Amino acid sequence: MQTSVERFDVLIAGVGGQGTILASRIIGRAAVIAGLKVRGSELLGMSQRGGAVYSHIRFGTKVEAPIIPEGTAHILLSFEPSEGLRYLHYLSKNSLILVNTKPIIPQTVSSGLSKYPELEHITQHYRSYATTIMLDATALAIQAGNPIATNSVMIGAMVGSGRFPLSTEVMLQAVEESVRKSLFEVNKKAFYLGFEKVKQILESEGKADVAL
Amino acid sequence: MSLRSLVGRKNGGKVLLMGNEAIAWGAVEGGVSVAAGYPGTPSSEIIDSLAEVAKEYNIYVEWSTNEKVALEVALAASYCKLRSMTSMKHVGLNVAHDSFMTAAHIGARGGFIVVSCDDPGAWSSQNEQDNRYIAMQAYVPVFEPYTPDEAKKMMIYAFQYSEDYGQPVMLRSTTRVSHATSEVELGAVHRLERKPVWEKRPDLLVYDSAGARRNRVEMVKRFERIVNEVDKVPFNKLMVVDGSKKGIVASGLAYGYVKEALNLLNLDGKVSLLKLGMTYPISKGLVKNLLENVEELLIVEELEPIAENIIKAYAADQGFRIRFHGKDLIPLIGELTTKPVLQALTKFLGVESPIDYDEVSRLSEAAARLPPTRPPVLCPGCPHRASYFSLKKVATRVANNPKRFGLEQVFGESTSPIYPGDIGCYGLAYLPPFKAIDLAISMGGGLGFANGLAHIVKAPIVVSIGDSTFFHAGIPALINAVHHKARLVVVILDNDVTAMTGEQPTPGSAVDALGQPAPRVMLEDLAKGCGVSYVQVVDPSDFKRSQEVLEEALKVDGPAVVIFRRPCELVRTREMRRQGVLPEPYTVDQAKCTKCMICITSFGCPAIYKQGNLIQIDPTLCTGCGDCAQICPHNAFVQALVKTA
Ligand SMILES: Cc1ncc(C[n+]2csc(CCOP(=O)(O)OP(=O)(O)O)c2C)c(N)n1
Repeated sequence: MQTSVERFDVLIAGVGGQGTILASRIIGRAAVIAGLKVRGSELLGMSQRGGAVYSHIRFGTKVEAPIIPEGTAHILLSFEPSEGLRYLHYLSKNSLILVNTKPIIPQTVSSGLSKYPELEHITQHYRSYATTIMLDATALAIQAGNPIATNSVMIGAMVGSGRFPLSTEVMLQAVEESVRKSLFEVNKKAFYLGFEKVKQILESEGKADVAL
Repeated sequence: MSLRSLVGRKNGGKVLLMGNEAIAWGAVEGGVSVAAGYPGTPSSEIIDSLAEVAKEYNIYVEWSTNEKVALEVALAASYCKLRSMTSMKHVGLNVAHDSFMTAAHIGARGGFIVVSCDDPGAWSSQNEQDNRYIAMQAYVPVFEPYTPDEAKKMMIYAFQYSEDYGQPVMLRSTTRVSHATSEVELGAVHRLERKPVWEKRPDLLVYDSAGARRNRVEMVKRFERIVNEVDKVPFNKLMVVDGSKKGIVASGLAYGYVKEALNLLNLDGKVSLLKLGMTYPISKGLVKNLLENVEELLIVEELEPIAENIIKAYAADQGFRIRFHGKDLIPLIGELTTKPVLQALTKFLGVESPIDYDEVSRLSEAAARLPPTRPPVLCPGCPHRASYFSLKKVATRVANNPKRFGLEQVFGESTSPIYPGDIGCYGLAYLPPFKAIDLAISMGGGLGFANGLAHIVKAPIVVSIGDSTFFHAGIPALINAVHHKARLVVVILDNDVTAMTGEQPTPGSAVDALGQPAPRVMLEDLAKGCGVSYVQVVDPSDFKRSQEVLEEALKVDGPAVVIFRRPCELVRTREMRRQGVLPEPYTVDQAKCTKCMICITSFGCPAIYKQGNLIQIDPTLCTGCGDCAQICPHNAFVQALVKTA
């Protein structure tokens, strides 16, 4: 299976334990199946303990570095509403931003050391930067049968946006290779829920063709 | 991906691997027989991965007590003509340095690879250092991959190379190789059916000074041969562009960023470019060829200007008149990314940047300030939280009023405790709410530092050190404390694993790297054996007993050891899940909760949060450890299931 892509960059932001690494591996595996060069980078170690985490995953004939060059990423997947805001410098005006609206409130907020921004405020910042789609991916994952499948909802949403160059078949094959057998059906369902949700959002906003 | 899933795969197929998995798989394909290491980010997954396939391929794999022992284990195997490797993080090589230097003098008989995983940017390290310098000091050649796929190929090549030249080699990886992913092409697995050969060679292995001098002569000779034949090494690549008077040298990982930047500038293939995969020694033939074709040269490398200095010296020696750029345009500090490389290239080549970085920063900076701070925290149910709760409470109580404890002669009127600490998950106790770690300098360093403090300050000194860290580097300092009567409370946080780096076993664990049963080395036996007279083992969840013991320990004139023993919660809950048992989360009895906030401001479990005016427990995070129920003065935390029953 050979797809022709020069360079496609996805940045995934979230909180340690949310499955951002698995999501980037699924994308990476899909690109390998598609016969492409893959470069990625993950933050492991200290930051796993509930801290802010990100992974970069890139593929295409011309990717070389493990980190996305600033100002050029194609897609930002933010697994938590505010986390993606840390990385807007990786994006350009042409990027697509997909945000899971379910917040994870850190301890620093409970103890009064920091504040959690209003969702509306967060959305504004994303929108002022690039095309943004907000969806409650966690709720869709629960609907699919397990909140653990949030990453599959986000990946499905990305594919459903029409802006991602690899096919649904390849992506699902990568999901199957990456999750435990017993969880594949739930993840597949989650993938399609994300996929459909984004299609709906784009249609209702009249952006279906912009997205292509 | 588990390496076990690669067993029996056909050649030529491609899979996505993380750098450390690729290094491990390269070792398998390259015929490794012995692998030993000590965990440390970003190196840990190498031994973790090899352990998964150790039985399948008959490889001896161990997590050693520290890096020095690991290197010696691998050295012995190489001496006995087996292919061997050791892996560690950059600072691990400081610990192994003594034997590393001598190993280089002895040479390699079976291929011997020291994998050094450096951490530019100090993402998870106590410092930033460039281990190429350590290799140079030891006459050890250095291979530096720029992708996981290249790392795998280099491992295979380096085993043979080390054997051919009789010298240990370094594979220097960094965070962005070890924790990067790429497609990796699988090759044939060459298992060598070698028998180890022990040869009695005191001339080589025993250090009388004649031997040392002779070995140094031999080492220098081996290295001369390496230098003379360096042009034959693959992984270096020169592309000379006719008519381009400017050239670039990209060392190791920097090649990826240079290529990326050239692509963005649409200049790939239009400037002469030398890729260095072997970064020490540097191919003179290729450098000479490049120098003959350019007037100006930019050397791009992460951290220290090593290639830069070598190439400048060579050019001067050969009488080349070239304008050099390196660290004047490329940062010396932190990791490289495409941005600084692209910025350097625009200056060097005199071209416009396709990306307006000022505009990018202007648009993104305000947003980046919005998210709440999310420092890493001790996990829900972590035993360290209970330990620090008691430790902080007792130490403060005693320091505030020494007289009440009959300690005014020792600590004076009123003082504050000092908390020397160390590196590990428990190191997170330096953050609120505990702030009970005042220093963490190097593994074992806190206990050594405390030895110094004990003789010069008049305050309760409570040192904390993890079990793995204690085995690794704490014992000599404890012996020192005994012999010099240092008044210290040494708290050993025994969670049965090296948690910070991925829950690897320690010498105190009942299993080894392969998960096989192993004899446990008991910390209390060690402490007593070191001559400590006060040694207690407590479960930190027993808050009452923990606090009694700490109070007693503070009264001991000399070192006292308190071992807090309870398994890492990640390990415990994983084991429970495997057995199909789900955690039974606690909940808040709002009728009893007075919102005194102790659970948040003095305990700080991430499962407990405040919403509006109410204290709540997140049932998806709570592991049901029950510690909160003990520290709450109002008994407001109750187990959900118990309540409904
Ligand atoms: C010389 C050196 N080797 C390895 C490391 C990596 N490292 C950081 S903490 C740690 C040990 C943590 O284990 P332990 O002391 O048991 O504490 P825990 O994380 O389990 O709380 C290691 C190996 C290091 N920082 N320095």
